[in-house]
Amino acid sequence: MWIRPKRMRTRLTLMHVGMLAGVLAIYFAGVSVLLFWQMSGVLKQLAAEDLETVKGLLFVQDDGQVGVREDYHHHTDWKQVQERLLEMLGPDGAILYRNEKLGDRTIGGVPFAGEGEHGYSGRTARMSDGTPIVLISRKYDLQGRTILIRVGYSQDLIWNELKETLLILLLASPLVLAGTAYAGYKMVGRTLDPVTRMADRAEQINSERLNERLPVENPEDELGHLAGVFNAMLSRIEQAFEQLKRFTADASHELRTPLAAIRSIGEVRLQENTGAEEYRDTIGSMLEEVNRLTAIVDSLLTLSRADAGQIRMQVSVFPLMALVREAAALLEILIEDKRLTFTLAGDESLGAEADRLYVRQAVLNILHNAVKFTPSGGSISAHVRCKGLSQVELAITNSGPGIPVEQSAKIFDRFYRVDEARAGEDKGAGLGLSIAKWAVQANDGEIGVRSASGTGATFWICLPAVGCASPSTKPSN
Amino acid sequence: MRILIVEDEEKMAKALRTGLEADEFSVSIAHTGEDGFFLASTETYDLVILDLMLPNRDGMEILAALRQKNVSVPVLILTSRDTVEDRVKGLDAGADDYLVKPFAFSEFLARVRALLRRGKQESGDKLSLADLEMDTAGRVVTRGGKELGLTAREFDLLEYLLRQKGRVVSREMLARDVWQETARYTPLDNVIDVHIAHLRRKLDDPFRTKLLHTVRGVGFVLREETL
Repeated sequence: MWIRPKRMRTRLTLMHVGMLAGVLAIYFAGVSVLLFWQMSGVLKQLAAEDLETVKGLLFVQDDGQVGVREDYHHHTDWKQVQERLLEMLGPDGAILYRNEKLGDRTIGGVPFAGEGEHGYSGRTARMSDGTPIVLISRKYDLQGRTILIRVGYSQDLIWNELKETLLILLLASPLVLAGTAYAGYKMVGRTLDPVTRMADRAEQINSERLNERLPVENPEDELGHLAGVFNAMLSRIEQAFEQLKRFTADASHELRTPLAAIRSIGEVRLQENTGAEEYRDTIGSMLEEVNRLTAIVDSLLTLSRADAGQIRMQVSVFPLMALVREAAALLEILIEDKRLTFTLAGDESLGAEADRLYVRQAVLNILHNAVKFTPSGGSISAHVRCKGLSQVELAITNSGPGIPVEQSAKIFDRFYRVDEARAGEDKGAGLGLSIAKWAVQANDGEIGVRSASGTGATFWICLPAVGCASPSTKPSN
Repeated sequence: MRILIVEDEEKMAKALRTGLEADEFSVSIAHTGEDGFFLASTETYDLVILDLMLPNRDGMEILAALRQKNVSVPVLILTSRDTVEDRVKGLDAGADDYLVKPFAFSEFLARVRALLRRGKQESGDKLSLADLEMDTAGRVVTRGGKELGLTAREFDLLEYLLRQKGRVVSREMLARDVWQETARYTPLDNVIDVHIAHLRRKLDDPFRTKLLHTVRGVGFVLREETL
């Protein structure tokens, strides 16, 4: 069964050691092969030298028998000489001599054509009893006779040598592996230390303590990068929380205001004994506040659904000019009533690709806002044009008092009003522009305001466009 | 005509009953789903008004059970859940109409009347109230024989009020029925108020008897009344 340790530290250490063991095994195998080749080379070399020695020690007896003075050893310091296997054959392949070590075995059998004729013939072979050997042969002319001398050494010599070397290496391996494991364990621990510290710190971060950040030990390395990314995320969450807190506070303020009004209007009226007409008036006034509450709750619900991503956009392509004209027509009576002049200019062919209903809502809210804040006799102008190849921009400019620069960033915030003192007289909850902002952004658009205090304000909406990408369709005149 | 209200909120039920009784309906109230189901399946009603959020048995369950028993009485659902999915679910379960709380009572009454097909609503081309006469086919409106010279929007507005004469009409109803505005958060209240003001200038200002009245906090009503 495969055991998977829980701790990453253990796992990494084991992996580390396992890999090293694998590398060592491959290394040992390589060393063995190399050693084997090298040693058989050396053995052949020695056999060749030995063959020369043997040749020097050869003698032919009177009866034609061949002999070797085996008692003489040239390389007495090399004790493997005693392992020498020696065989001499006549030109017909008949065995002329076998040394004592060889006994009645044969080293190489019948000679192959040309064996030992031009220099040494070296090869690995098997003896007649199957023992693997290294074998060198050479032909000599001795006192008129051609003799093939073969000197062989058993490969066991190499194997024994190899076994010894490998044994030493293998005995040393556990020590190496243990050392590596220890060092690896320490090293992984040190590498993972920042993670532990980050986890410890992260554990302490909750909604009350969102200002805490994870420690960044080295912003350049991977863990530092991770901590940095987490910290950036925490900042965004903190910001969202702040926004939510402020929103909740604002919402409760906005809801309490009409509630307080309802309560005092009712209580005050009940304290007096007045006629039916006054009661009617009071109830009517209370109902007005109820309507205001209803409007606020409706808007809040829309926004919270939008926040929760529950509102799906039904995207279609529609001409933007027509939509602005429609919105303006709806508000026409207000525009006339304040004797405002409204102008609309732009390319009729430009289309926006968005949810028409919500974009219409946004345009209505912005236009309504413009009508509200433009003084009587002023002007409102709307302009539709391409912005780049992929966006169409609608800019609505009014000649009102404008918005102070420091407030223009907050104007789309929920419940934000430029002039707090106006809140009472105006029925709006300060959510119209927030809804507009959401509606535009939910359609992959952008919304903003350009304004300088005193010179009016321009609210602009950018939406994905149709008809801006191909300038050829527009006559260049 | 008999109406059953299934609503656990006592104040709400009482208010609805008072309002409906003023319109000469006979009203029974059930405060729990079980009572409601029992009454609806044993007695005969012309309309059931069903709240969805009920203790123990949910309104939707009651509705399904009633429809399963082949009780085919028209059902008007009242609920504070206002997503499109909720609406579709309610109508699929066999409701005839769906009204989201909080609603204007005038709106509620209009729905009830529509479900009972008891619209005393004037139909036909010729509408009138006191000395006000309207020919919707020729789009001519006169008061005391004098042409009023209304704009198209003012004419539509007056026609709607005239068809609902004597009944209070809320701004939501006007936005939906006259302006055909389906979205709920459109800033139309100001627009409606200004149109009403213009209409009143032409309709009432030259005459002693005022016809178009504002019911504060509720809406507008067209009726003959000397103030």
